[in-house]
Amino acid sequence: MAGRSLRAHLLRLLLPPIAALLALGAVVAYYPSIEPATQAYDQALVDIGLALGSHIRVGQTEYRFDLPPAVEQVLRTDRFDSIYYRVMSPAGLEIAGDADLPAPPGDAMGHNTVYKGQKVRVVSVQAPCGRSACNVLVAETMVKRETLTRDLLLQSLFPDFLIALATLVIVWFGVKRGLQPLSRLSDEIKARSAGDLRPIDAAGAPEETRPLVGALNGLLDEVSAASRKQQRFLADAAHQLRTPLAGLQAHTELALAQPIPDACRAQLEQVHRATIRTARLANQLLALARAEPGARSSSENINLKDLAGAEAETWVRQSLSRDIDLGFELEPAPLDGDAFLLREALSNLVHNALEYSPGGGRVTVRTGRRNGHAFLEVEDDGPGIAPQERARVLERFYRVPGTPGTGSGLGLAIVREIAASHAASVFIVDGTAGGCRVGITFPHG
Amino acid sequence: MRLLIVEDDAPLASGLQRILEAEGHAVDVTPRGEDAVAAASHEKFDLVILDIGLPQMDGFEVLRRLRATASDKTGPTPVLVLTARDAVEDRVRGLDLGADDYMVKPFAMPELTARVRALLRRSQAHGGPRITHGPLTLDTVARRAFLKNEPLELAAREWAVLEVLLAKVEKIVSKEAIIQAVAGWGDDLSPNAIEVYVSRLRSKLEPAAIRIRTVRGFGYMLEEFK
Repeated sequence: MAGRSLRAHLLRLLLPPIAALLALGAVVAYYPSIEPATQAYDQALVDIGLALGSHIRVGQTEYRFDLPPAVEQVLRTDRFDSIYYRVMSPAGLEIAGDADLPAPPGDAMGHNTVYKGQKVRVVSVQAPCGRSACNVLVAETMVKRETLTRDLLLQSLFPDFLIALATLVIVWFGVKRGLQPLSRLSDEIKARSAGDLRPIDAAGAPEETRPLVGALNGLLDEVSAASRKQQRFLADAAHQLRTPLAGLQAHTELALAQPIPDACRAQLEQVHRATIRTARLANQLLALARAEPGARSSSENINLKDLAGAEAETWVRQSLSRDIDLGFELEPAPLDGDAFLLREALSNLVHNALEYSPGGGRVTVRTGRRNGHAFLEVEDDGPGIAPQERARVLERFYRVPGTPGTGSGLGLAIVREIAASHAASVFIVDGTAGGCRVGITFPHG
Repeated sequence: MRLLIVEDDAPLASGLQRILEAEGHAVDVTPRGEDAVAAASHEKFDLVILDIGLPQMDGFEVLRRLRATASDKTGPTPVLVLTARDAVEDRVRGLDLGADDYMVKPFAMPELTARVRALLRRSQAHGGPRITHGPLTLDTVARRAFLKNEPLELAAREWAVLEVLLAKVEKIVSKEAIIQAVAGWGDDLSPNAIEVYVSRLRSKLEPAAIRIRTVRGFGYMLEEFK
């Protein structure tokens, strides 16, 4: 999860250099301020050393240290630190003080060391005594200095901490804000239907997302090219099948028009029926293939009323031979969909109704809007479909046992697939005058 | 009548040829679009049956060239387009280019011959004063109708409705279309009034086996006379 978060990644990338920069800044700010402070504290120790030196008395052969207890008390007193001293003659002999206090190495004015288990700062002072100089060491524990160091460090680190915090906040919200074009992009893609393969409009996208949009468009282009190729193949396959079937149908009909023996006629009529059934099956398989998810090639603004109206003539001709009263109750039903598939769905419903209605029956085709949903339906007064069969008749190749005729059992399965490809649902209910009412209710439009 | 079939599938072409010859037409067949364009520029055909899926020059191109070179004297030759594709764009494109009718393969031969007859009748009726439908004849110049050679009395609006239906035999004519065609006389016509005229026409024509079919919720269709 963290590995995929752009924020975490950005923070991981940004924070170490920022922390290093801030630390460097703190160090750079710290040393210039610690130097004068250290020098001032050292100067106070030098002053003490000089004051101590003024109490050295020079005799004939010896040096004497004459420090009244009251003065020593004052000198040694400090609010925070303990003070130690050591007074030595010019020859290096002990005169007074703490003889084990270590002297700074070499010529150093002062240095840090450890005395009696405490960190101390030792300063060496040359105090005048007689004609030469006595060495006075003054040491002080580091409490004051360390407090100062800590304070100085904190003072310089506090703004650093604020800067780091600000960086964190800026990255957090900046990434969110910066990624807004991406979430707009993903919303746009999410809102698309499966068949919408138009390229994404890169005009509104920020410079940085152009490569992503470009790659997506490239992919969409390939997918739609593949889809077009498939549709072309399907159309070609249909052409290759339908033309010879048309020839077969023409010749069987020609032969049937000749005077031929009855035995031959019966067989030829079988061939003719099989030809028509094969042609219809080819159409249905083509429709099934085209209704497959992802195969939907076109979504356009259509009106079911116009769609049904345009096919009415073909259906009326089919109804003539069966003496069925085919009627229309067409109200406007606009929606976005695939005209070929919806026509095929409606044709299948009408074909079923004409096929299974008794001669002289009544079939009605309806389109319109019901409760805000576009719908199409076909009602007949035929035998109807028993409630327990209604789910099964939507399955491919299923036919209600005992059904007359030569249907393939594909018609309603195609209607269901086409409905599904439009996110719509199929309904089968009792008709008002016996028979049944079968149709599709669309989710919008 | 002289017909030209442009179809590259030999069995289908020969089947169509024999069926249409049996109907009494003189039928020429070519499998190539280029040849069809050349033939149509030299000779006058009464109808062209044109397959869209031709090798090399496709049916759309043939149709475009036929329409581009159509002579004004004789009027355009009706074209019945055959296609194995059912894409809507193909249908629209064909009709936009001036196709007169459109059939998707495979089709029943009676439907093809019915459409051929309807197209021929329509093109012959252009400018012709007489319209015939089985035993019915309308003399549009003298405005007189005959049924089985007997004079047939028709009221002006009955005549107008019949003329609309005769112009579209085997096609559904909506009530609205009939109202528009008949409403030249000024006053508004209700769909109910059209029903009255149609029912009067029926009582006059049905004895001669001429049938006007009601397409419930849509309109009427004058069935082909058999």
